[in-house]
Amino acid sequence: MIRIQVSPEAADFRDQSDNFAMVKRTFYPERGEIYDRNGHLLAGNETVYTVGVNIPDMVNIDVLAREISLHLGLDYQETYDKLLNPYDLVFVPIANFVEADKVAPLKETVARVAKEAAAEYRPSPLAGLEFHPTLQRSYPENALAANVVGFYNRNQRGNFGVEEKYNDLLAGTPVEAWVPQDPNRAAEIPHVPNGTSLILTIDRDLQASVESMLDQALTDYGAQNGTIIVMNPRNGEIMAMATTPRLNLNEFWTYGDQFDQSYEFNPAISMQYEPGSVFKILTMAAGLDTGTVTANTPFYDSGSIVVGDVTIQNWDRRPWGPQDMIGCLQHSLNVCHAWISSTMGKELFYDYMNRFGIGRPTGVDLAGEAPGHLKVPGDFDWYPVDLGTNAFGQGVAVSPIQMMMAVSAVANGGYMVTPHVLYGMVSEGRQININMDPAGMPIRAETAYTLSQMLAISLENEASLALVPGYRVAGKTGTAEIPVNGYYDSSQTNASFIGWGPVDDPQFMIYVWLNRPSVSIWANDTAAPVFSEVAQQTVILLNIPPDSIRQQAVQP
Amino acid sequence: MINVLHLTHAYRQAPWRIQRQWAGAFLVGALVLAMISALYLDVTAQAAILGREIQYLQADTIEVQHANADLQTRLATLLSKSNMEARARALGYRPSEQGEIHYVIVAGYFQPNGVNLAVTNPPVVVNVTPPEYTQSLLDWIAAYLSTPAAGLAADILP
Repeated sequence: MIRIQVSPEAADFRDQSDNFAMVKRTFYPERGEIYDRNGHLLAGNETVYTVGVNIPDMVNIDVLAREISLHLGLDYQETYDKLLNPYDLVFVPIANFVEADKVAPLKETVARVAKEAAAEYRPSPLAGLEFHPTLQRSYPENALAANVVGFYNRNQRGNFGVEEKYNDLLAGTPVEAWVPQDPNRAAEIPHVPNGTSLILTIDRDLQASVESMLDQALTDYGAQNGTIIVMNPRNGEIMAMATTPRLNLNEFWTYGDQFDQSYEFNPAISMQYEPGSVFKILTMAAGLDTGTVTANTPFYDSGSIVVGDVTIQNWDRRPWGPQDMIGCLQHSLNVCHAWISSTMGKELFYDYMNRFGIGRPTGVDLAGEAPGHLKVPGDFDWYPVDLGTNAFGQGVAVSPIQMMMAVSAVANGGYMVTPHVLYGMVSEGRQININMDPAGMPIRAETAYTLSQMLAISLENEASLALVPGYRVAGKTGTAEIPVNGYYDSSQTNASFIGWGPVDDPQFMIYVWLNRPSVSIWANDTAAPVFSEVAQQTVILLNIPPDSIRQQAVQP
Repeated sequence: MINVLHLTHAYRQAPWRIQRQWAGAFLVGALVLAMISALYLDVTAQAAILGREIQYLQADTIEVQHANADLQTRLATLLSKSNMEARARALGYRPSEQGEIHYVIVAGYFQPNGVNLAVTNPPVVVNVTPPEYTQSLLDWIAAYLSTPAAGLAADILP
């Protein structure tokens, strides 16, 4: 030993010893969890195992291959070949991401065989079999709110929803440290804080209910797919966001079987389309705010109007005669709204559309938001007729969440909110709640109040199917023909309804969009009753009492 | 008297006696070395055992964290919306409908909004390993001697 210590190679030996004395390890934090607003877990973690064999400890290939293949349902020959030809690997992984339930019987077998072998003073034939635990994402609610949550794949990357948007927060910060192998030099593992947990604004029970109603609506009205969003118009908290189809997040690898395009994962924020008549709310808001019209401004509907040398007609191609602005909304008259935008002028009209955020992303905290598209004067593809058609939601592309944001200004006293799904964050035991500032005030409070009343009256006048017993609501239908090969196909429509309530103290805003309903192409017959049904469930689940009781509570 | 002195002197300087003194001194030295070695070996062995225990405890900590995550997820699965709804229906319950709900006005009541998942007393992270786990014996002696209010000095200081 002394000879080795003083030999010329001693320095090399010491270097080699130092190299093996410390191992650089990266400690990955546990990924943060995701909860709904009431503390129900939407995304957590569970232990899975890498099952493999430590080749230097291996005693009996045949027994190992047999037991592993038997318990894990693998091919015996394939397993045997992997162990026979380890290609210089010290540890040969046989199966990855094996669930604890599957591993448990194999672990028991290993323990039993080891005990029997020890009693007979011989090595266990299953020696070398090792189970390396690791954490994997788990989604207890499966497909519930899948479009909002997104998923975390095995390449350690969040995809879609909050999993992607807040990936860095959820993942936390990995810590690298040199860990001594020599127990004499035991060092403390550095403290690795878990990833930040997120609390969403989503209400699990409301989300489940809305998803169920959306599925039923698709069946009832023969629509291809659809979207329903429930938002608090006061602060932009999204309480439910249902879309179809939905992915079972615990089987995220089936994504490709369900979706052709990434925007199909969450159409509520990613799919842009021509909104049709729900857009008239914005046109009327601009008209009222600029003083171009008032609620009582008379308008004689002759059935057509020429804008930019192009004749624009009503949806039923007939004249509706003398109207006021409530009548224009109630009967959803294209001619009337094209007249409003033309009278207002292109500068004012597009200034207001810009204030409402049309053509820009809302900034909703979900990955993959589409920006929408609004042609404005000066653009190569803008024509004078667009001033007329844009007024009733043609020639403009928006996503459902953009419409929610823009119309929130009408429901919320002129202030527009930023839609969001993050309620709070929890890190190291401390919770920080998110308060979003308003996204602007595109219209005056008086305008918002007047338009809310006009929309509520228009629903009441036509005894709309959107009405909610016991609650006064305001809203507007939209039936937009879908352009096919450059022409509008009157047999294929986007049927939508946007509404909110109670009108005197808005606590929910609901957007319903059904894509190509076949039972009826009209939103009045399809989207409107779905709105009513969703609103009736919403007031129950959010404990919003009927107007008469609520007003009693407010009055001293 | 002179003879006695001569005899004593001769006895003291007898070669065998000097050798015995040397041997005795060597043995005492060896004994001291053996004691120090034994002490060092004991301390080192204890440090190694503790170090290994730390490694096992670190592994246990990770295992417990995994078990916690598993249990939390399993509990969430048992309490998931679909499971709870199925259990409620099996017990004969159904969702209430409008008209079946009676609202009672309670003055001063505000509906709580959102959950609070904050821990009342967040864990304080102390990221310092006690010196007992890292110090060598010599380090400990040096620290013991260099600290004025420690060790022997602690006994005599007021």
